[in-house]
Amino acid sequence: MIRYTLSRLAGAIPTLLIIITLSFLLLHAAPGGPFDAQKQIPPAIKANIERMYHLDEPLYKQYARYLWNISSGDFGPSYQYRETSVNEIIREGFPIDALIGGAALLGALLIGLPIGIIAALRRNTYWDYLPMGLAMIGISIPVFVVAPILILVFAVNLHWLPAGGWVGISPSHIILPALALAAPYVAYVARLMRGSMVEVLNSPYILMARAKGVPEPLVILRHAMKPALMPLVSFLGPATAGIITGSIVIETIFGLPGIGRAFVDGALNRDYTLVLGVTILYGALIVFFNLLADISYSLLDPRVRYE
Amino acid sequence: MEKDGPPDGAGLNTRSFPRAAYHISQRLPKPIQLVTLTPSVTQTLPPSKREEGLRLRKPTLHFISMAIGMAIKIAGRIAIRMKLLKVQQSRVPAISAGRARCRVGTNCRWRSSSGAVLLITLSSLLLFPFGCANPENVTHVAAAQTIQVSSGLAPDQVINRQLETDPRTLDPSLSQDVVGFIVLQDLFEGLTTVSPDGSTIPGVATSWETSADGKTWTFHLRKDARWSNGEPVSADDFVYAWRREVDPATASEYSQALAPIENAMEIADGKMPVDKLGVESMGSQTLVVHLHAPTAYLPALLTNAYLFPLYAPAVKQWGDAWTQPAHMVSNGPFVLSDRVLNGHITLLKNSHFWDAAHVRLTRVNYQVVEDNTAAMNQYLAGDLDLTDRFPGSDKDRLVQMLGSQLVLFPNFATAMFSFNVAKQPFINNPKLRVALSAALDRDILSKYVLRGIEPPAYNVMPPLTGYDPAIPDWAKMTPDARHAYARSLYQQAGYSDSNPLETVLTVMTQGPEQRRFMEAVVAMWQVNLGAKVQLYFEEWKVFLQAKQQKQPLLYWDAWSGDYPDPFTFMQLFETGNGMNSGSYHNAQYDALIEEASNTNDAARRLQLFRQAEGILNEDAPTIPVYFYAGTHLIKPYVKGWQPNVMDQILSRYIYILAHQES
Repeated sequence: MIRYTLSRLAGAIPTLLIIITLSFLLLHAAPGGPFDAQKQIPPAIKANIERMYHLDEPLYKQYARYLWNISSGDFGPSYQYRETSVNEIIREGFPIDALIGGAALLGALLIGLPIGIIAALRRNTYWDYLPMGLAMIGISIPVFVVAPILILVFAVNLHWLPAGGWVGISPSHIILPALALAAPYVAYVARLMRGSMVEVLNSPYILMARAKGVPEPLVILRHAMKPALMPLVSFLGPATAGIITGSIVIETIFGLPGIGRAFVDGALNRDYTLVLGVTILYGALIVFFNLLADISYSLLDPRVRYE
Repeated sequence: MEKDGPPDGAGLNTRSFPRAAYHISQRLPKPIQLVTLTPSVTQTLPPSKREEGLRLRKPTLHFISMAIGMAIKIAGRIAIRMKLLKVQQSRVPAISAGRARCRVGTNCRWRSSSGAVLLITLSSLLLFPFGCANPENVTHVAAAQTIQVSSGLAPDQVINRQLETDPRTLDPSLSQDVVGFIVLQDLFEGLTTVSPDGSTIPGVATSWETSADGKTWTFHLRKDARWSNGEPVSADDFVYAWRREVDPATASEYSQALAPIENAMEIADGKMPVDKLGVESMGSQTLVVHLHAPTAYLPALLTNAYLFPLYAPAVKQWGDAWTQPAHMVSNGPFVLSDRVLNGHITLLKNSHFWDAAHVRLTRVNYQVVEDNTAAMNQYLAGDLDLTDRFPGSDKDRLVQMLGSQLVLFPNFATAMFSFNVAKQPFINNPKLRVALSAALDRDILSKYVLRGIEPPAYNVMPPLTGYDPAIPDWAKMTPDARHAYARSLYQQAGYSDSNPLETVLTVMTQGPEQRRFMEAVVAMWQVNLGAKVQLYFEEWKVFLQAKQQKQPLLYWDAWSGDYPDPFTFMQLFETGNGMNSGSYHNAQYDALIEEASNTNDAARRLQLFRQAEGILNEDAPTIPVYFYAGTHLIKPYVKGWQPNVMDQILSRYIYILAHQES
């Protein structure tokens, strides 16, 4: 198990290296540079700036310098935000994404799981059709429709919650973005849970448990729940990474200072270091959560063993 | 300063959309390295009878749920429409209905279909149960705008302002973006500053005199000017800041703005030491500036951030970190209290400011809201008191809803299409260039495509008090006469229906509104002249690079004046100027600008600029299309500001009246 984890972690390094190399080359291949502006800078001054950021060096030297710096955890200075380092941008922005993403994920599980279980237990009744029909809607309505409707209702009309912005960790500022972000995930969780629950409930050992006279709640919670969670776990790995990294639209609509927006702006402004830094972070997150999902698989199901 | 930076927030479609759904569906059949697997996990079980029933019904179920989804989507749209209609109707008899809400569990019915549909849409997201909408909800948008303002001051003098993007830096020497200037003008004060109406007034300097040749300026600093730590502001603080600005080690992108000062560019080039800069302190309260040429606009230039003083000990002690709230020392009406990158910037009143007695705001909250729709929503929700932009497509609705809270005024910036006059077909071809310019129906573009927000432009210089612009004769013609004139020039240039002009208009990608505008322009050329112009969209940085390499033949161009003086626009067409991207060259024009730059006679100077502008109208190196507009949403209780061409609303003059929202 530990050996497996370590080998997976070691395997992540070449993956990340490939990501870094490709992103580095693509960014530098894109036309336009970080200091191109409509107001043209005199060549001597532009040379000053480029010298300051080592942009005047040949590409292989810049690449080597970059790798050397990140090996010590230094993602370099941001070109877009002068006097601010990429480390600072990530340090300030990432907790916000993680917080909103975490709240959304928690909400999705708290709402989605019970609904999925109930739908599976009462399948082919209205308890099943209605939530599953609504779940379908939840999946098909995009975030950029849900979010403005939430703002319209709860902020503009009812004045219950702020329409956006960020004032530090304040529940009222987290609720709406987290809800908007959670909406499709609630639906996924409910549908997945229902599907796997239905399958598990039909398996012989549930029949056996019922035949033994085990009370129904125990059948569900002790015998059916654990195996039914398996598909959900494999979904949650990449979903957690996705929910944290995929909040760019939410950040834009709610005006949140997360890194998703900085990432997009960085790409538009050719802020090489910022884009690379966030790419590495996102890559690492995806690798990490996939690993986490695989490990929790073996914890949930004693039949699964890793070499 | 540059206009239209990277594509603005309005272009949601330019941003990437959540990959979650896509990415999840791809991930579902997850390959996993299993060593042992018992059949029960993978093998499909024989379906029970109930399961069979389910299978039969599955397609129908899917169909029904999809149909419900579609229906609710459409209903949601209709609901929003209806809501707006209702709002518009209900605005006249100002509805004072309070916020009657239903609590969960109370028995209230959905009498309003829109409320019901919204509710269904929301509950479809499986949210927690919440109060049901009742008919009064529908009028809340209007109701929220029923603000009663009294004449007394509000107890809390706090304003929430929008910033369109996060300033790239709060270091005055490095700042070059509009948002940075907005914040820095609250934090610092230069030798001169801006009055509520946008004119230049004394700041740290109380008075100044110029030498006979206009090249040496002596500024007298006020004795009571203080840094936020209580230290006096001295002439040396200006000398330090200006030297830092041109120092190659600072690598400031805007150091060229100091070009009028003696030796500035030589120092930036690294050919001279920084202490050779033409600025010196004579005692702590006198600053002498040596210039290359009499620079009539110097007082206006001095209001800009890159000429603010700096507190050297803080900069030296903290290095790059001196702009952090804990370390910054500033001399303006406010001090930096808190900053979250891409989030907010909070300023508090500076009690050491010399004019603190007249600063009424105690706190300024700048919220970074890039998306214009988001800013509008936050304004409507009452989270913002002053926004800097609203979605143009919502203008009519906002005017209906908000009335005079929507503020429009002309701005010192011009949108243009420029020609590359060094390349075919535009080289030595002023007739063709004028024909393309005269063929555009700017009033139609302004009224219908730009929704009356931006006024039409026939000349390069935006309206400026005291300057009488040169406007081409064809601008006053009737549309038919103007089209005929354009067509005759087009034909004189050798083009006809059988031999039409075929060229490309290069613009940057900026979203659907801008695309609509470009398509209208191209259509006008097609209809009025028969010219076949193709649109070519390029991403912002790609566009900039192409422009710098002088690749496009005809391209989008825009300029926002740095200071309220014609020179900021006129310099764009000087031979060899870095901003002259179309390679325009006219010796007569250059001579006029040169003479204007060296004259000490203010009236003569403006006359020379007017003549030069006349040459631009004849040569048409560019097609001015519209002037930009200041577009704000301002709550009725926010006072102390005035519309002004430089679009500068300084927090130091703002005060908040007592108000009540009902």
